[in-house]
Amino acid sequence: MLTLGIDVGHCSTKAVLLEDGLVMGKVIFRAAGSVEKAAMEAWEKMRELMGLLESAPPRTFVTGVGRHKGLWGDGSPTEMASHVRGTHHWLPSARTVVDLGAEGVRVSRCGKRGRLSHFLINDRCAAGTGTFLETVAQMMQLSVSEMGLLAEMGSPGVRLTSTCAVFAESEIVGYVHKGVSRQDILWAVHDSLGARVAALVQKIKPEPDLVATGGVARNKGLLKALERHLGISVVVVQEPEMMGALGAALLAADSLGEDLA
Amino acid sequence: MISCGIDVGSLSGEAVVMEGRDLLGYSIVRTGHDSTSTAKEALEMVLKKTGLSQAQINYTVATGYGRVIVPFAQRNISEISCHARGANFLFPLARTILDMGGQDCKAIRCDERGRLVRFLMNDKCAAGTGRAVEVIASLLEVKLEEVGQLSLSNLQDPPKISNNCLLFAKSEILSLMREGVSVEALLAALCTSIAEKVCELLKRVGLQEKFVITGGIAKNQGVVRRIEQKLGMSALIPPEPQIIGALGAALFAQELAHGQGNPKEKVLPPAQEKLARAASDQ
Repeated sequence: MLTLGIDVGHCSTKAVLLEDGLVMGKVIFRAAGSVEKAAMEAWEKMRELMGLLESAPPRTFVTGVGRHKGLWGDGSPTEMASHVRGTHHWLPSARTVVDLGAEGVRVSRCGKRGRLSHFLINDRCAAGTGTFLETVAQMMQLSVSEMGLLAEMGSPGVRLTSTCAVFAESEIVGYVHKGVSRQDILWAVHDSLGARVAALVQKIKPEPDLVATGGVARNKGLLKALERHLGISVVVVQEPEMMGALGAALLAADSLGEDLA
Repeated sequence: MISCGIDVGSLSGEAVVMEGRDLLGYSIVRTGHDSTSTAKEALEMVLKKTGLSQAQINYTVATGYGRVIVPFAQRNISEISCHARGANFLFPLARTILDMGGQDCKAIRCDERGRLVRFLMNDKCAAGTGRAVEVIASLLEVKLEEVGQLSLSNLQDPPKISNNCLLFAKSEILSLMREGVSVEALLAALCTSIAEKVCELLKRVGLQEKFVITGGIAKNQGVVRRIEQKLGMSALIPPEPQIIGALGAALFAQELAHGQGNPKEKVLPPAQEKLARAASDQ
């Protein structure tokens, strides 16, 4: 049985097509415009990729920012439930999932069967989210992944004391003027971000394995900082940004009574 | 006896010179790359204005963020105490002061002699400080001084900005702009959201009349009017709202020079103040 999971994020839209628990196809693209359009486009792209003849999508669950609209698809699981379901499928020993998204960080705990037990969210403040990294990347004219690499080459020296990302921007400009090296500034940026995410993770009392998902999990500098502040290792899945869509597709299959856990 | 008060803030530095209870002159300069040179610049400017020399000043008190590195000051006192003191001098009936600067926002309660009773501050989050106005004004390509007037000229229903965080609000405002919402309506929404955050802080500190607004934001009619509307209370605005901290510092300097009063009574010792600050953080 085919199912489709679509994750409409703040930054990009992801979709995963599943057949009997196996990933058949996946797409990821930057969507502009409405959420409904993004979901439709995801299905169109998937059809094209897979050469599917049906015009109507299979059983589809939509998660991410688009899930509240409820206009498209057969179900709308939360981001937390989807990420946990997807991550657990990929790594059954996962018990804590930290989803590092563009406009929010969500930490979830899950049970042995990949069901969400409880979660904590920060989506009110850019400090500690991918938006902050993207702002710094723009300032420094680097890509987010390059920035993570540079940060790893830096060493502890300066520290970012501001909580607010807007204030941190001016602090960074100050360090640039003072002649602090780019990699040292970036070390401080990632360290402060890591500390902020770690504080949220600590609150939920993480149990291993701790898995990082979401696009920002591709940034190595941040993961190192996170591990440093938490004192436990962080596992990264291969395609961290696809976990939400994968989870949604799995939940869609679950709802049909297929037991894929 | 001539005293001087210097307030080195995050965005501007101010100096006030007083003789007894007479205000001789003041200056406002933009903060440069370090606090020491900002303080010197502000002092030189006020000396030039008043025709005094530095040797004629008997006592100097520094306040504000950069107060610890003002080399020519005999003492430094927290800007919170100074704002309470300065506002009390201009408006003896003032009991609540809102000081909103470029980088923070403070709600201060004082007694009839201008002594600090209680305060709450936000210096952690840019939303709800002067920085929010600056960031959005430059995003919308509007001059800072024009934000207030433009926001009041809006006749439509302003959109609601749903994001609390300034960085997120920036992208929200950009997409509202693309949808065709006018600059005036967006500025109205901005001023309303700042006023809402400020009123929250004022309610928590326990607002009492008379109510004074100091700091750069007091020059923004768009924010001031909306705060007044939400509180149902009119605000007293000093003729030059930016110099109240420096004025308070100059008043403290007068007392200290005379050796009258125990300054410890009016100023919290640093450790205690730190605790109070920590307690005021949410």
